[in-house]
Amino acid sequence: MRLRTLLAVVMAVAATAAVPGRALAQDTPLSGPRQAPEQNPGLKHMLGPADLIMPHITDSRTMEIPWFNRDWSREIRLPSWPVQVGGRTIDLGPTKHVVFMMLAALLCLVTLIGAARAQARATRETGHPKGFAAGMESVVLYLRNEVFLPSLGPHGDGYIPFVLTLFFFILFMNLMGLLPYGSTPTGNVSVTAMLAICSFIATETAGMIALGPMGYMKTVVYWPSDMAVAVKLPLTIVMTPVELIGKFTKPFALTIRLFANMIAGHVIVLAMIGLVFVFGSWLIAVPPIAMAVGIMILEVLVAFIQAFIFALLAAVFIGQIRAAHH
Amino acid sequence: MRSFLMAVPMTLAAAPLLAQDATEGSGTLMSLQTNLMFWTLLIFLVLFFLLSKLAFKPITAAVEAREKSLEEALAAAKRDRDEAARLLADHKQQLDAARGEAQKVIADARAVAEKLRNDVLEKSRAEQTAIIERAAQEIQREKERAVAELRREAVEMAILGASRVIEENLDSDKNRRLVEQFLSTVRAPKGMA
Repeated sequence: MRLRTLLAVVMAVAATAAVPGRALAQDTPLSGPRQAPEQNPGLKHMLGPADLIMPHITDSRTMEIPWFNRDWSREIRLPSWPVQVGGRTIDLGPTKHVVFMMLAALLCLVTLIGAARAQARATRETGHPKGFAAGMESVVLYLRNEVFLPSLGPHGDGYIPFVLTLFFFILFMNLMGLLPYGSTPTGNVSVTAMLAICSFIATETAGMIALGPMGYMKTVVYWPSDMAVAVKLPLTIVMTPVELIGKFTKPFALTIRLFANMIAGHVIVLAMIGLVFVFGSWLIAVPPIAMAVGIMILEVLVAFIQAFIFALLAAVFIGQIRAAHH
Repeated sequence: MRSFLMAVPMTLAAAPLLAQDATEGSGTLMSLQTNLMFWTLLIFLVLFFLLSKLAFKPITAAVEAREKSLEEALAAAKRDRDEAARLLADHKQQLDAARGEAQKVIADARAVAEKLRNDVLEKSRAEQTAIIERAAQEIQREKERAVAELRREAVEMAILGASRVIEENLDSDKNRRLVEQFLSTVRAPKGMA
């Protein structure tokens, strides 16, 4: 009950603050290298809604923090950290998404380790946890026993922390974007690509462990054992690229699915709110805001579902390759 | 899992190749940013390490311990129930055995009593017969004695009578013969003997 109330409050605040003050007052300077209208006052009135939407969903070197001024926000510039890699200079300094990713990770740690501590304490005292710890425990247990273990197949316990980490990390990153001033790291293709690469490596490693070097090679090179060589050879030539494409399609699908889902919701919410400014009338404000609130509520659902799907598919891929027998 | 951890830094090394160097810091929608990928990997690995060690392992361990204790309790309950059932069966069996034993004892006792009764009856009957026998012999003996007595008495009487007669008609052979003859007629009916 308390959680529901909290959620409702968060939703309301998030919906009203989804467009920070800066967007409401269009005469304030917009950040980023692509938008520098303060140098060119003539450009100001040419800013369309899309120019407001894009900075919200893409990464940037600057981020907004709550501030007590006319816009209720202040822009801070994040530090840069140039690193020399193979003759090229790469700036490894944190960006807006990195900051929110760290926040999500921190929340993950606080929530889960806190729950684990509380659970351990309660278990020592009464034999079973209660309250939030019991809830987290049942979530972890449900995911472990009902979702991940069946997908991972027998003796898949070793991969459970990996997929659980994926789930909670992605979930918190997804939810980050629903907070005021927040941004969704999973709405960035680089983040989802890296997570998908991690799951890809985990999958292939699981295959190597479960099948051995020869068995693993059979998942790359199509070489069925119960056929004549004359039949096998052309099949292998055709099927090996297909197998390889299959291997790389999975992480690619993971990348795009999560990224697109997270982006889509934000774009819709921002477009709804953008309608208010396109029409520039208070009268027209009520339906888009109501719809934006509805989409926001849907977004909460999507945040959970997408985190679940990503982790589940990672588990399924690992389970598939572990059970692969050609 | 360990080799997985080993494999990840390789990808980190490969990440710059994968990433088309995006616009500095802020990217467009579909471009890969090296720095973001680097941070994602770093944060994910740290999170993975910390959560596995500090969250998932303790949670799972606690649950497994609880499950184990529950299973043990269930097993113990089952064991106790089986034990109880076994004991009950034992007791029932013992009770049945005892009942059978009692039945047998009673039957034995009855048989012994029957035999004893028969024996006693037999013996008493035999004794009875013996007594009757003895009594009959006694009677017979008494009778024979009485007959002899009687005979002797009769002879005495006869002699006495005869002596009287003799006193009257002394030494009459004819008389003596008469007496003898008479006496023989006295002995004659065998039924008296």
